Amino acid sequence: MMSPDHDLRADMPSRRRFLSLMSASLALAGLSSCRKPVERILPYVKGVEELVPGIPVPYATTMPMGLDPTGLLVSTFDGRPTKIEGLPGHPASLGASDIYMQAAILNLYDPDRSRTVLHAGKTSDWAAFTAGWKEQLPRLQERRGEGLAVLAEASSSPTLHRLQREMTGRFPLMKWVNYDSVSDENILTAARIACGVDARPLALLDHAEVILALDGDIFYSESGHLRHASGFATGRRLETSEAGMNRLYVVEPGMTITGGAADHRLRLEASRIAPWAHSLAAELGGLGLSSFAGFTSFATLDEASQRWLKAAARDLMAHRGRCLLIAGRRQPVELHLLLFALNLELGNLGRTLHFVPMEHALPSSLAGLKGLTEQMAAGRISHLAIFGGNPVYTAPADVDFAAALAKADFSLHLSDRVDETSARTAWHLPQSHFLEEWGDAASAEGQLSPLQPMIAPLFGGRSVIEMAGFLATGEERSGYELVRESWRRLLPVAGFESRWRALLHSGLHNGSAPVPVAPDPGAMMAHLRNTPLPQPGESLPEICFQPSALLDGRWANNAWLQELPDPVTKIAWDNPARISPALARKHGLANGDVVHIKAGDREITLPVWIIPGQADESITLELGYGRTRAGRVGDGVGFDVGSLRLSGGMGFYSGVSLRSAGGRHVIACAQEFDGMVERPLVREAGLKEFQGDPHFARHDSEIAAKNLWKEHTYDAGFQWGMVIDLTACIGCNACTIACQSENNIPVVGKEQVAIGREMHWIRLDRYFKGGEENPEMVYQPVACQHCENAPCEQVCPVAATVHDHEGLNVMAYNRCVGTRYCSNNCPYKARRFNFFDYTGRMDELKKMAQNPDVTVRMRGVMEKCTYCLQRLNLAKNRARLEGRPLVDGEVMTACQQACPTGAISFGNLLDDSSRVAIARAWARSYALLGELNVRPRTLYAAKIRNRNPELS
Amino acid sequence: MSSIHQHEQQWIEGQPTFGGLTDQVSALVENKTPRGWYIALAVSSSLTVVLLALIGYLVTRGIGVWGNNIPVAWAWDIVNFVFWIGIGHAGTLISAILFLLRQQWRTSINRFAEAMTIFAVICALIFPSIHVGRIWFIYWLFPLPNQMSMWPNFRSPLLWDVFAVSTYFTVSLLFWYVGLVPDLATMRDRARTRLKKITLGILALGWRGGNRQWQHYEMAYLLLAGLSTPLVLSVHSVVSTDFATSVIPGWHTTIFPPYFVAGAIFSGFAMVTTLAIIVRQVFSLQNIITVRHLENMCKIMLVTGLMVGYAYGVEFFIAWYSGNIYERFTFLNRAFGPYAWAYWIMISCNVLVPQLFWFKKLRTSIPVMFIAALLINVGMWFERFVIIVSSLSRDFLPGAWGYYKPSWVDVGIFAGSFGLFFTLFLLFIRFLPIIAMSEVKGILPQAHAAVDPSAGEHHTRRS
Repeated sequence: MMSPDHDLRADMPSRRRFLSLMSASLALAGLSSCRKPVERILPYVKGVEELVPGIPVPYATTMPMGLDPTGLLVSTFDGRPTKIEGLPGHPASLGASDIYMQAAILNLYDPDRSRTVLHAGKTSDWAAFTAGWKEQLPRLQERRGEGLAVLAEASSSPTLHRLQREMTGRFPLMKWVNYDSVSDENILTAARIACGVDARPLALLDHAEVILALDGDIFYSESGHLRHASGFATGRRLETSEAGMNRLYVVEPGMTITGGAADHRLRLEASRIAPWAHSLAAELGGLGLSSFAGFTSFATLDEASQRWLKAAARDLMAHRGRCLLIAGRRQPVELHLLLFALNLELGNLGRTLHFVPMEHALPSSLAGLKGLTEQMAAGRISHLAIFGGNPVYTAPADVDFAAALAKADFSLHLSDRVDETSARTAWHLPQSHFLEEWGDAASAEGQLSPLQPMIAPLFGGRSVIEMAGFLATGEERSGYELVRESWRRLLPVAGFESRWRALLHSGLHNGSAPVPVAPDPGAMMAHLRNTPLPQPGESLPEICFQPSALLDGRWANNAWLQELPDPVTKIAWDNPARISPALARKHGLANGDVVHIKAGDREITLPVWIIPGQADESITLELGYGRTRAGRVGDGVGFDVGSLRLSGGMGFYSGVSLRSAGGRHVIACAQEFDGMVERPLVREAGLKEFQGDPHFARHDSEIAAKNLWKEHTYDAGFQWGMVIDLTACIGCNACTIACQSENNIPVVGKEQVAIGREMHWIRLDRYFKGGEENPEMVYQPVACQHCENAPCEQVCPVAATVHDHEGLNVMAYNRCVGTRYCSNNCPYKARRFNFFDYTGRMDELKKMAQNPDVTVRMRGVMEKCTYCLQRLNLAKNRARLEGRPLVDGEVMTACQQACPTGAISFGNLLDDSSRVAIARAWARSYALLGELNVRPRTLYAAKIRNRNPELS
Repeated sequence: MSSIHQHEQQWIEGQPTFGGLTDQVSALVENKTPRGWYIALAVSSSLTVVLLALIGYLVTRGIGVWGNNIPVAWAWDIVNFVFWIGIGHAGTLISAILFLLRQQWRTSINRFAEAMTIFAVICALIFPSIHVGRIWFIYWLFPLPNQMSMWPNFRSPLLWDVFAVSTYFTVSLLFWYVGLVPDLATMRDRARTRLKKITLGILALGWRGGNRQWQHYEMAYLLLAGLSTPLVLSVHSVVSTDFATSVIPGWHTTIFPPYFVAGAIFSGFAMVTTLAIIVRQVFSLQNIITVRHLENMCKIMLVTGLMVGYAYGVEFFIAWYSGNIYERFTFLNRAFGPYAWAYWIMISCNVLVPQLFWFKKLRTSIPVMFIAALLINVGMWFERFVIIVSSLSRDFLPGAWGYYKPSWVDVGIFAGSFGLFFTLFLLFIRFLPIIAMSEVKGILPQAHAAVDPSAGEHHTRRS
């Protein structure tokens, strides 16, 4: 590892050069024109139906994230995809999106994507590769596939599943392994034991009144987080003070956004969670769950935790059939089984929990990877094809995949970039982006959906499906043919073409939902009795691995995700080890101090960051950083914690030691202060207080200011407004990155974030309340509030920021001279300044990700949230052309559209029936800093927590 | 001789004759250029080059070369602006207000104090000009007719600044020049080379020193003094409205106009004292700029220092008394937050240091007052830093708070502005009479000696 100081210095010229000034590469300059083959460049003789230049056309497709595909609606301008939204109606996204869906567009236009086939590190081409493979095929067929292996990422694609079966049929002795370093393997293993078949649990939070989440960031990083978040928010709409509300209990080692959203949170080391659950089962057994009557508690808990456990148990018992217990993927199989059994016994099955059979899945298998690596190391694998993934970087530290890889005679890696793995294989083959390829996927809910290309492959890459088809047969068939072939079996033969078209149009295969399978309680209990839960180890402290915004590192070269402040730490461009205040005190550490963390004879060196609410003896390590061959954005950012990740402890393990290494590392934290210093910013109450005083949030900011002058009335046309429901907001960051994509917001780099120049138009203010041991965490998304009495407008000497007739505070970039006075006078500090030329010399390829409807700002001008003015105008014009009024909900801001919890309402305030007008009238809606008489158009709805009276 | 005359006599020591005084002051310009001057000019003009180069760098790269961020969108740029504008207050105060109040001691120091004002305002004007993100459009701040009928926003205090500061600069320049005319004529009459004769001849506007000319001159001077007097109060009041009209806690304060004016006079006098001490030492003008002059300036510093200290106290009181939680926090944060070091530098230099001047022994000690004046200037710079940076860095929403650190370019440009200031000042002391000869002669006893048979001619002799 580089020394911390050296790291930053080395960082500065290269990263800044790349990010903000990215020297116009001559090789790339002509790229967009190269993209079109010369012989096909012809103007449209007849206009393409429905294609109006400048008007975006949305297409449905699917984002295949392993076993968790989500439906997408992709806006394309003249054949160029620019913006991704969730596909309404797709059960995994429900029209919303997460940070990865929003950021995926940038990966498509990543200039560091590989452009050519490489053979032994030298430029080659597809023809050479196909010829090379065809040469190998007869021999492999002769050996019936002995020595042949495929290593792919987990997949839910029916076509890949079909091709895998065809290939293993053709080569019976070959190995096909799927591996992801962040996977639901423990959960799926438990589900297989419970159900006897491959199935996955599906939690329906919208039907749950009491939810207990154990070490699972179910709203952010766990599978199904969008569905969970949406279901959770459904259970706490609180349109009136009489409305009911669900209750969330969270037990977790480190603070997560799920823990922040919890009504009650208990911090507990990850290795103590299974024993804790055992105690809970014992408690529930005592309360009358007969199957658990014999369970004994073996967790040693202090009095407060004991009280917490008992109260939660009683609450669960009181909500039988309407509660849910759920655990995170890094917890052991036995814990998942225990929770399945508890859910079953509590009558939750079929209500809040389903088991959905997995018909097309190729799930990840750690044992598979270990076995494959052993065989490779033993020289028994001569031909290895790696489809996607980056096993050299993601394999556990005790599985020396890199060394084993050298033993294969013929190795290939299909990858979108020449990464750590590609650098070690004989062949590197460019992989297409999912927006460039045909495919299909089955979601966790069993929803089948197609992938259709939005654009021809930019660099001639091929998809996993195409490669699998080719490797199996030696025939080069297009993804289109392969996918259609699969779907000929999935769709009725009669009217296939029209059904196929309907499928592509809607992005959804109707009627494909599988019948849930029923688990076998006997099998579960038998397994639980035979395999006791792991006992709490006494050799703390422990380390817990958790996916970051870069997931397992696959998003490392995505500048949007790198610059996205972590929702809990607010740190961008880094992954310090998160430690508890107690551990910091014990070792005399401050934020940014560099430490060694040692487990056995393995050691990593990285800085620390102190997080309130972290379990005392737990250290959280974020995956995905410290890449060496991610590309110009991701290389050398953060610290690779993979060398401590062992196949026996992919999630967490205890018994590590921590000692100070001396020195400090500069960390770019987007929020320097954690508390609300007693200010009424996020106004919060318990459900009881809210019911007793529904208008509690308004007491502070109701002012009856009289103006000396005649004021503008804003009583005609559209008067836009927004309400952000803080009860629903979970802090998932989707709004921030959706806004970045929609509004061409530049990335500024670590150095600039560190000195406070991040450009996000909507930021998430994260506050801790209460003591550092057991704080509550709240979020407040803050963007321009579009004050009717805007302080920024009054002070601009050149009238560059003014009000329009629809109540929007608009910025005339062309008029702005950049005095920055408006920002000074903005009480919300919602304005952003172009301190440098962040966009001027952007890479030609990255320019393609820009929204052509949004002005790119030059240096020296202010910018800020516009309420997505371009969307408003597009919708208004469309309605006008169609001679009809604009319907409420027809126009959504980017943040609103992305939000999985529906926390953001937006629309016309003059329309009394609009969602925003209704939300504005809620008793708990209030104006942030309303006492300044700035009259913001954005209001907040107060946060309500449903506290258990037994615990308050 | 009346007691008034005796009193007057004490302002200028050594009882110089009119001619002797002219010789003494003119010699500074007419003698061979001393080596020290060249050395000083080399240093200050090098710093000026640094200033220009860094401005060039700033304009080419963007405001990002400074340390400014969001929330601290204004930092050293505006701190330096207010600092220099403040310094520029003493000159006009001495020339105008003290003139109207018939404070005769002003005559020994008013010339270079006015010059200092003009140079300080030039330095000040640099900062608002270069602080904008797109300097090439800065003319949009002026109400220039254009085809879009697009006017500046007259509600913006920044626009008021444009008018206030440019007016102040113009009037100060005029005032200074008008006061120079009789002395320029003296220099012209003494000039030996043709070039000097012609140049000074043009600049002296044909001054002959006749009675009518004196009559007009005195009237013009009086009118300009009358015009300048409200400006002394208005410029810094307007500058303070940049802050006072905003909504930011720590800025949104009605006390700002008088508080800023007092602070400006305070810092201006500190700067005049600093320069006066150097000038009288280097050019042996102890007889003209006497310890009594300096003592008077110390008294003014004591008074304005107390006013400033009072303002600091009142701000705190109001922050508590208002019950406004944001206001309270801002002031506690100033004293105990991350910028507490700046606050306590400010308090030490601006409130504690001037207390030395209660003691006659200290306020007549040249080394003490020199160091004290320097410290006061440091303190006044920090006052603006505390007001601007500490208020912005922690305003309403803690989620948006951010610490500000200057970059090397910030430091370089500030240092460079001193280079420019001293370059201009060095040029001034080399080419123009640094003491208002005609005015000093006016307070010499012989100017009022009724017994002198040639009394009617004393005006001509003055030149």
